[in-house]
Amino acid sequence: MTVWVNHDLNEPQKEAIREAGSVFLVACPGSGKTRTLTFKIAEELSKLGSPRQCLVAITYTHRAADEIKERIERLGVDASRLWIGTIHSFCLEWILRPYGIYHEELKHGFSVASTNDSEKLLTELCAPYRSPKVTYWDCSFYFTKEGHTLTCQDARKHDAIDAILQDYFRVLSKDRKIDFELMLFYAYELISKNPSIAKLLSGIFPLILIDEYQDTKEIQYSIVSEILAAGAGQTRAFVVGDPNQAIFQSLGGFAITPKEFAALSGVAFKEAELTHNYRSSERIINYFGCYDLYGSSIEAASEHKTYPSIVTYDATTSKDGLEDKLVALIRYNIETLGVEPSEICVLAPQWVHLAGMTRRLVSRMPEYEFDGPGMVPFARDPDNFWYQLARIALTSASPRLYVRRLRWAKEILVELEAAGVSTSEMTPKRLLREANNIALAETDGLKYIELYFGALFSALGVDFTVFPALQDQYDSFFESSSARIARLRKEGAQFIGEIDAFRRVFRDRSGITLSTIHGIKGDEYDTVIAYALLEGMVPHFADADGSNSAKRLLYVVASRARKNLHLIAERGRLNGLGAEYVPTKVLRNCRFDYDTFAE
Amino acid sequence: MHISKISLVNYRNFANAKLIFNKGINTVIGENGSGKTNLFRAIRLLLDDNLLRSAHRLDEKDFHRGLEHWQGHWIIINIEFQEVSQDEAIQSLFLHGTGSVGTDAVSKATYNLIFRPKNDVRRRLSELIAGDNDGMSAILSGISIEDYETVFTGRSEADFNDPATYAEIVGDFKNAKFGKELDHPAIGSRVPVMLSVSKEISFTFVQALRDVIAEFQNNRTNPLLNLLKRKSGEIDPVTFLPITEKVKDLNDAIEGLDDVQTVRSDIVGTIKEAAGEAYSPSSLSIRSDLSDEADKLFQSLKLFVGETGNGYEGAVHELSLGGANLIYLTLKLLEFKYQKANQSFANFLLIEEPEAHIHTHIQKTLFDRLNFADTQIIYSTHSTHISEASNVENMNILSKVGEGCETYQPTTGLDPIDIGNIQRYLDAVRSNLLFAKSVMLVEGDAEELLIPTLVKKVLGMTLDELGISLINIRSTGFQNVAVLFHDDRIKKRCAIVTDLDATFFDTTPAAADDDALSKFKARCASAQTKGLARKAALDSFSHGNPWVECFYAPHTFEVDFVGARNADQIVGAIASVYKDPATIAKAKTELESKDIAVFGKRALLMANYEGKGWFAIALGNRIDHQVIIPDYIVEAIHFLRPVLSTEVWFHILSFRVACIEKSGLSTPDVIQGARNALASFRSGEMDLAAIKALMLVTFTSDPINRILDKAG
Repeated sequence: MTVWVNHDLNEPQKEAIREAGSVFLVACPGSGKTRTLTFKIAEELSKLGSPRQCLVAITYTHRAADEIKERIERLGVDASRLWIGTIHSFCLEWILRPYGIYHEELKHGFSVASTNDSEKLLTELCAPYRSPKVTYWDCSFYFTKEGHTLTCQDARKHDAIDAILQDYFRVLSKDRKIDFELMLFYAYELISKNPSIAKLLSGIFPLILIDEYQDTKEIQYSIVSEILAAGAGQTRAFVVGDPNQAIFQSLGGFAITPKEFAALSGVAFKEAELTHNYRSSERIINYFGCYDLYGSSIEAASEHKTYPSIVTYDATTSKDGLEDKLVALIRYNIETLGVEPSEICVLAPQWVHLAGMTRRLVSRMPEYEFDGPGMVPFARDPDNFWYQLARIALTSASPRLYVRRLRWAKEILVELEAAGVSTSEMTPKRLLREANNIALAETDGLKYIELYFGALFSALGVDFTVFPALQDQYDSFFESSSARIARLRKEGAQFIGEIDAFRRVFRDRSGITLSTIHGIKGDEYDTVIAYALLEGMVPHFADADGSNSAKRLLYVVASRARKNLHLIAERGRLNGLGAEYVPTKVLRNCRFDYDTFAE
Repeated sequence: MHISKISLVNYRNFANAKLIFNKGINTVIGENGSGKTNLFRAIRLLLDDNLLRSAHRLDEKDFHRGLEHWQGHWIIINIEFQEVSQDEAIQSLFLHGTGSVGTDAVSKATYNLIFRPKNDVRRRLSELIAGDNDGMSAILSGISIEDYETVFTGRSEADFNDPATYAEIVGDFKNAKFGKELDHPAIGSRVPVMLSVSKEISFTFVQALRDVIAEFQNNRTNPLLNLLKRKSGEIDPVTFLPITEKVKDLNDAIEGLDDVQTVRSDIVGTIKEAAGEAYSPSSLSIRSDLSDEADKLFQSLKLFVGETGNGYEGAVHELSLGGANLIYLTLKLLEFKYQKANQSFANFLLIEEPEAHIHTHIQKTLFDRLNFADTQIIYSTHSTHISEASNVENMNILSKVGEGCETYQPTTGLDPIDIGNIQRYLDAVRSNLLFAKSVMLVEGDAEELLIPTLVKKVLGMTLDELGISLINIRSTGFQNVAVLFHDDRIKKRCAIVTDLDATFFDTTPAAADDDALSKFKARCASAQTKGLARKAALDSFSHGNPWVECFYAPHTFEVDFVGARNADQIVGAIASVYKDPATIAKAKTELESKDIAVFGKRALLMANYEGKGWFAIALGNRIDHQVIIPDYIVEAIHFLRPVLSTEVWFHILSFRVACIEKSGLSTPDVIQGARNALASFRSGEMDLAAIKALMLVTFTSDPINRILDKAG
């Protein structure tokens, strides 16, 4: 009996779930992609014959992995034989840790350099380069099979960046650290040079699921393909995504075609599409259809299908009037249209536009809560051990959170073990028990978690300072957090260091969300308000494939909205040369019967 | 897949041991206390799912006692598997954790338990400057067992038996030198959490029990219950329903008994009288609590076995011990069969000392038949009976050496012909060759019968007490067996004691020789030639092998026995050979002659008259403590036991003094003086050289002096 028999799935979804072979599924926004993935996993879990096998699902974010895992558990399916996580976690757990002894750079042990560590190191290394000036932001790179590729479009800087990266890799190697890009590269090297690894993994995984394939890097396809190819048919693939939403191309994201993937992996795909949108009104769907690059036909299927959506485009408001404009739009949506505050999202292309704005909105509308980048007192670094532990420290024991906290505790134990701590006398339950016993009166957030970590480890009888991997991450966590708090305080967020601000980070979404366009992946809101939709920002001025990238970004922005969409290209922003930014070209060129919004 | 090698480092009585296994049936033989149980414990720590997880936490007592201080050292249990296949999906997870990955397909897997100091201790040691012994002692002295951790790794490449590897990975404690690597790559990768090796395979351990009845009576260990429990989970509820109903009826019927109801109402009445209505319980009943759950009901099932053939079936405790043991072993084997059917790609059966379970007669049959497909069986034994039933190639010998244990594989490096010879020899002759502390190989019955007597008469101790096993090869094919003793194989001493067969009279043919004499001369001459050739062959065979040495009787055992000034000993035996007084007299004269051509011929004649064996028995009955052991035999004994303990020497010399006292050859004062000297020798006040000199001066003519003289 299949687990999804009584659930509401449409025929194409069911077909994709039932399909016995490999599937390449293009899913339009709001088409129930996660739902399909969840039921596919549940179905395949119930069909797992051997207790020695497990399913692998690769998601783009930790958050997506958590969400799917929770959904599976809610279906009452035993998820113990499901491995789900990001490609980086996959490489770490299944390739780098077990087989690292076969790689020169890894055999003596290694730890992961956090984004923060990398930033610090690269910033230092960039310092001497003044002409042309090279900054950390120029040094972004990713690996292909051949080696690293720079994302910086300014060719004049390439020599300098290459030199910097060489030093960067040398320092990392000396410290026995690998960053996120090296994780992928070394995993690829291991799996391509030692055919047995792929062979063994293919024996363990009857199915590999890939979510958001459009943002997957070429080298990630290569890693997965090695396993699929070694399986020679015994390992299937289930690939889901939407090429229209491929907004990470500048970072190496690559929306592979089914044909290319089949050639790479030797897997014969059944191609399918999910074209029913269960999210947005017809008007919204029509609108983001303007930015479609692949000739998709999307059918409105949501309950809001006929909602009289308000879609506005404002290219007249000035930079200085932006704040008033946003306040007006937010108030209008909440107070006139009756939209819940938690169902409103404000988007901008870059963090820099958001941090100050969040705080200004907070002071302008003290009656509403806001979740935004200026509101988080520490870096969201899901790979940092202490960030992971902070999740437990900053949430309290409740029946609703029990399963989730238990899973976090399990992950903590895996990380402890990997760091070399002997965990034979620890269980996730004991960890939670010890954690729940800690009661601290401290009101300073950072001090609180510092004391908390100390108390927990002394209860566990472990001195973490002797484990370099833990100590490094500890330093990195506290260093970056205090820097962040200091910066946010300077910018005016006076209460950011309080324990309440810390706790809010892991609370369920309750206020108005502020986010970058890239950070909003997969989410949906009744109302989406986006600003700074300016040529040079959307798309980024250095983007070679500018107009297509802009289309994808606008496609993503618009398709987040269920009901209302407000697009703003404010005037008066000046670029480095003193010229005014103009509205994004593809937005300007879009012919649509916009609504007018009058205050 | 099968276990191909087990390495133990610093574990219990193993300082550093390597055992080699093949697929199929393997034997581990060794005397009591040589470590068979410890070896099995080590295997179970890694493979037995029934062992509690807490067992993985080792403690101080698990360290090898030969380590002066265990602090800082590691215990390593390493199991290597061969015939693995990366192409079988069923093995993938196992090999993902343990398989050695190279450019070729995975062909080997290793799985290790490592008990080592925790990270911070290892780090502190690694930071020492080489040679900083004080710094090292300061760190080591602070270590307690709480500072240790157990880790499981797979795909290790290190040869843990190599002391240099140990020094590199763990440290060189003598020179306070520690590597910089806290996790040396050669110890392999941590086994992923996903993998539980003991759940991947099927593994059954049959313990050497001596109280099978108790096992049957304990619900946890009762093998019948374990078998039934396995089945109880599979029972169809529909089939079981009528039984459940019957149990309910039964419970109702018991509860309904008048007597039960009477007791109930009496209890209620008494409470009310005693406590009053207000404080009495509101209701009270007596219920029959017979469970209707299958696994609980199954506990009432018991095995009944008929042994005598008269139709009577008795409970297990009524069986003969051998019968109960056989049933126990059978049930354990069945348990294994059930488990094996449970989808595993590798099956292991460990049987500890089957001789503890079953009668010797059944042992051989059982192990000939015990042949599960795809199953590796390892059994330990100290029974020579079972060691014969097994293949000498699949054998590991555990040998107690001091506090520790050495392990030998008796056929390493031998060619199939050699192995075949040894196998046939072991099959044919029940010998303790493989168990011996040292071995003296002799060529015939005379030596086999007489040498033990000589030793006993002169030293007052048996060869066994001296740690020497005498083995009669019954030919001069010594090499076939002696090949076992070698640096690569059994590292025990082996003395080959044989005749050189040199002629002891002029064998030049003379015209006057009659037919018989000329034939005899020809035979002797030919024997001499052969003897020389044999010596050349044996000398070159044993050359460069410190474990094997040859000792030659210059002529023939009987001749050289007389030649060792033992004429008076052999004379006593004449009467048991000849009846005719004239022949007796002639023989006596000849034996007492100083001319080897004369006494030699007579000695041989007498020996051949009734057969050498019978003659040796006759001679053995006559000889006394004054007999002189021929030099080459004394030398062989000294080779086999190069160092005898003070205590052994004390016993030997005391025995000599007692013999002398008994024979009245000395005065009580002298005897007492010698005894006092021996006492101070025993207490260490006098050394061996001094007591040697004293014996020579005091009892100059005693045969022991010759033996003392040759002692190191």
